[in-house]
Amino acid sequence: MVEKKDNLVAKRVHPGVKEMEKSLGEGKCSRREFLRTTTLLGISATTAYSLASSILGKDILPDLISTAHAAQKKGGVLKFGMMVQEMADPGTYSWTEKSVIARHVIEYLVETGPDNVTRPNLATSWEVSDDLKTWIFHLRKGVKWSNGDDFIADDVVFNFTRWLDPKTGSSNLGLFNAMLEDTGTKDAKGNPIKRMIKNAVEKVDAHTVKINLKSAVLSMPENLYNYPTGIVHRDFEKEGGDFTKNPVGTGPYALTEFKVGEIAVLKKRNEPYWGGEVFLDEIRFIDLGSDPGAYLAAIASKQVDALYELDLTTLQAAKNIPGINVLAIPSTQTGVIRMKVTEKPFDDIRVRQAVQKCCDCQRQLDIAHHGLGIIAEHHHVASIHPEYFKLPPYKQDIAGAKKLLAEAGYPDGIKLTCNVGNTNGVWEQNSVAVLKEDCAKAGINIIINLMPTAQYWDVWTKAPMSLTSWTHRPLAVMVLGLAYRAGVPWNESSYNNPAFDAALDEAEGTFDVDSRRVKMEKVEKILQDDAVMVQPFFRSVFTAVSDKVVGLETHPTKYYRFHKVSLA
Amino acid sequence: MVLLLLKRIGFMIFTMIVVSIILFILLETGLTGDPATRVLGNFASAEQKEMWRDQHGYNQPVIIRYAKWLGNFATGDLGTSIRYKGPVKDVLLPRLWSTAILGFWTFAIMIPLSLTLGVLSGMKEGSILDRSISVFGILTTSVPEFASAVFFSALFVFGLKWLPGTSSMSDGFAFKQLILPAMVLVVYDFGYVARMTRASMAEVMTSQYIRSAVLKGLPYRQVIIRHALRNALIAPFTVIMLQINWLLSGVIVVEFFFAYKGFGALLLEASLNNDIALLEACAMVAVVVAVGSQTLADIGYTFLNPRIRFS
Repeated sequence: MVEKKDNLVAKRVHPGVKEMEKSLGEGKCSRREFLRTTTLLGISATTAYSLASSILGKDILPDLISTAHAAQKKGGVLKFGMMVQEMADPGTYSWTEKSVIARHVIEYLVETGPDNVTRPNLATSWEVSDDLKTWIFHLRKGVKWSNGDDFIADDVVFNFTRWLDPKTGSSNLGLFNAMLEDTGTKDAKGNPIKRMIKNAVEKVDAHTVKINLKSAVLSMPENLYNYPTGIVHRDFEKEGGDFTKNPVGTGPYALTEFKVGEIAVLKKRNEPYWGGEVFLDEIRFIDLGSDPGAYLAAIASKQVDALYELDLTTLQAAKNIPGINVLAIPSTQTGVIRMKVTEKPFDDIRVRQAVQKCCDCQRQLDIAHHGLGIIAEHHHVASIHPEYFKLPPYKQDIAGAKKLLAEAGYPDGIKLTCNVGNTNGVWEQNSVAVLKEDCAKAGINIIINLMPTAQYWDVWTKAPMSLTSWTHRPLAVMVLGLAYRAGVPWNESSYNNPAFDAALDEAEGTFDVDSRRVKMEKVEKILQDDAVMVQPFFRSVFTAVSDKVVGLETHPTKYYRFHKVSLA
Repeated sequence: MVLLLLKRIGFMIFTMIVVSIILFILLETGLTGDPATRVLGNFASAEQKEMWRDQHGYNQPVIIRYAKWLGNFATGDLGTSIRYKGPVKDVLLPRLWSTAILGFWTFAIMIPLSLTLGVLSGMKEGSILDRSISVFGILTTSVPEFASAVFFSALFVFGLKWLPGTSSMSDGFAFKQLILPAMVLVVYDFGYVARMTRASMAEVMTSQYIRSAVLKGLPYRQVIIRHALRNALIAPFTVIMLQINWLLSGVIVVEFFFAYKGFGALLLEASLNNDIALLEACAMVAVVVAVGSQTLADIGYTFLNPRIRFS
C-alpha cells in the first residue's frame, strides 16, 4: 500500500510511454504522434520534446507553441473581428466563438496547442492507470480566482458534476460517456436517460482529483480542452449561473463589457497571473454581423487587427490588401452529405452506393472549395488524422451507379431532395450542386433544398439527405464515435452496424498508433462500403491578420488564445 | 380636428392589433419551427425541451397565450430575446436610437438636397439643368442600396482608403463611420424626392397666379420664394413623411452591409435566428412607425393645405 502510494507521488510513468519511445526509435510512429500520445499519457510537453530529440538524435523544437519572444512589446489594444454571441453558461457553449472570449477569463485543466500536443494548464500533471480507466489530475497550487478564492479540487468536481447532470444540457455529456450509467428510464422519444456514475469524479485532496471511467479512454486530457469544458468557480450556480454577469475566472483577463451582437471587452487583470506575463492591455471582440464582406472591409480599413475567420468568398480579395497576412489553417473540417439509412429510398444500400459512386471528389474540391483542402474517401477519416489508413483510391463510376440503381428498382432514375443550410459558407451549397451535376449523369435528379442556417439545425438529424458541416477533431476515432456509433445523439444518418461499432471500439482501445492504424482499415472500409455518406473533401480554413499583430497562432479548431500576442 | 386625430389614432391601434394577430399566428404556433430547440440548442433532450415549454407557457391554449402576450406588450413587457438572453426592450431601444441617428443625418442631407434640386429643376421644365438633374436622379434611384454600398465601399474604403469600411461604432460614436451608410441611403432616395418636388414645382409654375405675379413685374426670385415654393412644397412634404417608412426597410440592407448596430440589422438578425419575441417587437415597432408617420403626414398636410382643413 505504501509502495503504491509512493509510486503515485513519484509520478508513475505509463508503460505506453516506453512503447511509444520504441515506436519512434524504429520509425513506426511520427514525431507528432509521439508527442501527442506521450503527453496524453501524462508526460510533460517539455519532457516529450526532449525525449523525441534524444531518440531521433536531433533537436525537436515545438513548432507553434505560445512562447513569448524576447522583443515583444507590452500594452496596446487588440481588435478582433468575430461574432459576439450570448455566452452565459460555459458548460453549454455550442459555438467556438463563445469560448474564444471566455478562454481568457476562465481556463481549462489542459491546453491542446496548435501542434495537437496537450499541455498542463490548471492541471500541472496527470497519471493514468495501465487500463486507461483511472485518471489522476494534479491541480496547480496557488492559483486564485478573480474573487480572491483559491482554485481547488472542489471546483473541478463541481464542474464535472454539473456537465454530467442532464438538466444542465451540456454536450460534454456525450464527451464523457465513460463516466455515465443508464438510469433504466427513457425519455418521451425512447432515448435512454443517463446519469453520472457515483464517484466517477473524486476529490483525493485539495489539489488532486481522480476520475474513474467504466471503459478505457486515451483522449481524456484532450477532451478537457474541448471548448465547453472551461472550469468555472464552484459557486457558479449559487451566484446566478451567468458568466457574463458574474465573470469570475482564473485567467489573466477580466470581462469588463459585454453586449451580444456588438462587443466584448477584456481588460488585463491587475493581479499577477500564474501563467506569466501577458502583453495586451485590452482585447476587443467586435461583432460585424454575418456578412463576410463587412469583416473584409473592417480589416482593410484597419478597424480590426485580425479576424476569427476569413470566408472563402473574400479570400482572394484579402490577399490583395497590403499589410494583411492571410493564414491557412490545416484542418479536418468537412461537409458530409449523409443519407439516413432508415428513410426511403436510402434504406436500400444500392441507392446510397449509386449516389456515392457518382461523386468526383477532386472536382468537388476544385469547384466547391477552390481546390483548397484535401480530398476524402467517404469515410470521414482524413489523411492528416494520425490513425488514417490508406484505402485504394475511390473512383467515380457512373456506369456502376446506373447498374446499382437499376438493381434497386429505379432503371429510369430517381428523384432525391438534399437539404443544405450553408452553416459554414456557400461552399456547402456548391458542393451539393456539383453532386447534383454528377448524379444527373446516372439519372439521379437531386433537388437542392436551401434552408436558412438557423432552421437547418432544427432538422439536421431528421432529414433523409442533407449536408452537415463537421468541425475539426484531432483524432478520427473522436468524430467517428460521435457521428456513426449506433444510438449516439449526433448520429445523423441513423447508422447502425454492430460490426462497425466493434471495429471502432477496438481501434479506440488500441493504444499503439501502428496497430491502431491497421485496425482503422476495417473501420474505414466498413463505413465506405456501407455508403452512409458522400464526403468528398476536407477543407482548409483561413483567417486574416494585420502585420502589426505579433505572435498570433492559428488553431485547427480556432481555439484562439491571445496570452502571448502583442502589437508591433 | 380632434375628431380626425382620434380617428387616426383609433385606426392606428386597429392596424396594430390586426398585425399582432398575424404575427402571433405566424411565429408562436410552431409554424416556423420548435422554439424550445432554438433556446436549448440542437442537442438538448426531449425531456429538457418539454420542461422549457412548460415553464414558458408553450403548452397553454393559443388564445390564452395570445391574450397574455398582448397584455404584456401593452404594458411595455416585450418579452425575452432568445438570442440576447435578456429583455427585448434593453436590446431594442438602443438599436432604435442608433437608427434614428442614421435616419436623422440621412434626412438632414437628403431633404435640403432633393428639395433644392427639385425646385431648380421644376422652375424651368425642359432646361438643360432640369434634364441633367432628372437623368442623374433616375440613375441613382435605379441603383439598389446593396449595389451602391458595394460600389462606394470599393471606391472609398478599398480604393481611396478615405473612409472606414464598417460602422460598428465599437469605440463609441464616430461621425466618420456614419458617412458611408448615410451616403448610400441619400443617393438612393434623393432622386425620388427630387422628382416629386420637380413635378409639383413644375405644376405650380404653370398656374395662373404665378403667371400674374410674373406679369405684374415682380422680380423672378420673389415670385419663386414667396409664391411658388409655398404651394410647391406641400406635395413633397407627404412624400418625405413616407420616406420614413421606406427608411425602416432601407436600413436593413445598409446596416447589414456596414455592420451598423441599428434597428434594421436587429430585425434581420432576429428573423435569421428565429428570435420570436424580438421579431414581434421589431415588427410592432415597424407598424407603429409606418402608421404613425402616415398619421403625421395627414395631419401636417391639413395644416399646410387650407383647402383640406376647411372642407
